[in-house]
Amino acid sequence: MQRNDSSDFSRGWLASVLTDMHFWVPVAVLLGGLLLLKSIH
Amino acid sequence: MPTVSAPPTASQVPDASRSRTLQLLGLLCGFTAGAWLGTAEAPTKLVSVGVSPMVISLIMVIGVFLARWSLPALILGTSSIRADVRRAPHLIIWAVLAGCIWAVANTLTIFAIRDIGLSIAFPLWNSNSLLGIFWGFLFFNELRQAGARRWAGVLGGALIMCFGGALLAIASATQAPAAHSMRGVWAALGAGILWGTMYIPYRKAYLTGMNPLSFVTFFTFGELGMMTALAVTYIGLAPLWQELLRARDVLFWLMLGGFIWVIGDVFQQYAAKYVGISRGIPLSNSNQLWGLLWGILVFGELHGLGASTYVQVIGGSLLMMAGVGAIAFSSATGREQLQWKEAAQRESQRYGVSADYVQARMQGRQAANEAKPSRSALDWVLVFGATCIFVFFATMARAPRMSFHGLPALILSAAILVLLSVCGLALWRTTRFQ
Repeated sequence: MQRNDSSDFSRGWLASVLTDMHFWVPVAVLLGGLLLLKSIH
Repeated sequence: MPTVSAPPTASQVPDASRSRTLQLLGLLCGFTAGAWLGTAEAPTKLVSVGVSPMVISLIMVIGVFLARWSLPALILGTSSIRADVRRAPHLIIWAVLAGCIWAVANTLTIFAIRDIGLSIAFPLWNSNSLLGIFWGFLFFNELRQAGARRWAGVLGGALIMCFGGALLAIASATQAPAAHSMRGVWAALGAGILWGTMYIPYRKAYLTGMNPLSFVTFFTFGELGMMTALAVTYIGLAPLWQELLRARDVLFWLMLGGFIWVIGDVFQQYAAKYVGISRGIPLSNSNQLWGLLWGILVFGELHGLGASTYVQVIGGSLLMMAGVGAIAFSSATGREQLQWKEAAQRESQRYGVSADYVQARMQGRQAANEAKPSRSALDWVLVFGATCIFVFFATMARAPRMSFHGLPALILSAAILVLLSVCGLALWRTTRFQ
């Protein structure tokens, strides 16, 4: 039971991060930065 | 700096005087951050040409990694970090993401300097403060209901600092050849966008109550992981190892630069926590001024150049100081702080973090049910291990033959140590490093 609670908790905060629009802004900028780095190297 | 001497507790009701104290504390942290971040450039100036920029960046990040684990262990203990992670585990992802962004941005600046020179590159990536103001307003209610005078102070101050920074960069790059290229412009702009966006995770963490010392501990995994991946990808594992061996005489200076940088960054994190990113970033961008002071006074840079260069340096420095002053006199009012509180409530609801905990941490206090931070044997092992590694590399280091003026170095070192003591003491007495 305790393990289920713990796993629900982990899924909960992970889902909260992935559904947070604020999270995808830095992710998109990071990917853009990596692409830029690849193109200029 | 007004302080409280009694240990802070969550039961104390937040009041206007407490908020004002925290604002002043945040401004002092931003200014101290600028001094230490600028000084971090000094040890890297001891490194002679011949080491690849990617390797320089990687070694500095290794020094940063050691400092980011040992300093929090020394100041609060890892038990406090573990407790923070239990309360807000989602912030590990945010911290690692911010670290990855930092590493990519830092690498882009190397290419930018190579292609267009520091004078054009620096003002371009220094635009990160304007982007930070934008994200702070859009996502975290910063500068909402702040009034025209404070908007003018923050935005105007940031713009004046950008202009002053441009003048300093032009003056300091007078001797550097620059091959103009759109590639370098894109690299510098990219670095500015990355660094400006990196402050979203910073603010996110502090609105949810995380301690800056906990945040930087996980930030560094992203930083070191991404930097290692970039170095291996672009140089190759075997050539990278060979280059590290060849550079063993200077590894210590670079790692020392990383260590000093971390002290500056810790203060920058506290500035972002207590005055927000819209004010904290421009204040810590005053690092350029300190870097130039070290360059001119200690390493004899710009020696023998014309009067116009010195006019640019003095003008740029005065403008940067004016910008810092404008931002410092535009601290958040009560109405703006209510907006911050709304943003913090939104975050605590989304991530299921106790509102009392978030409220207490926003006020720089411990939550009522929080255990007092304590150091364990593990903390002393971390501090001892990091010290041994630094001592080991120090024994291999050689002092390079170059122009070095001891007295100005002593005065500047004393100045930053005074700032460290004053700001560190104020943080301890006001927030116990919360």
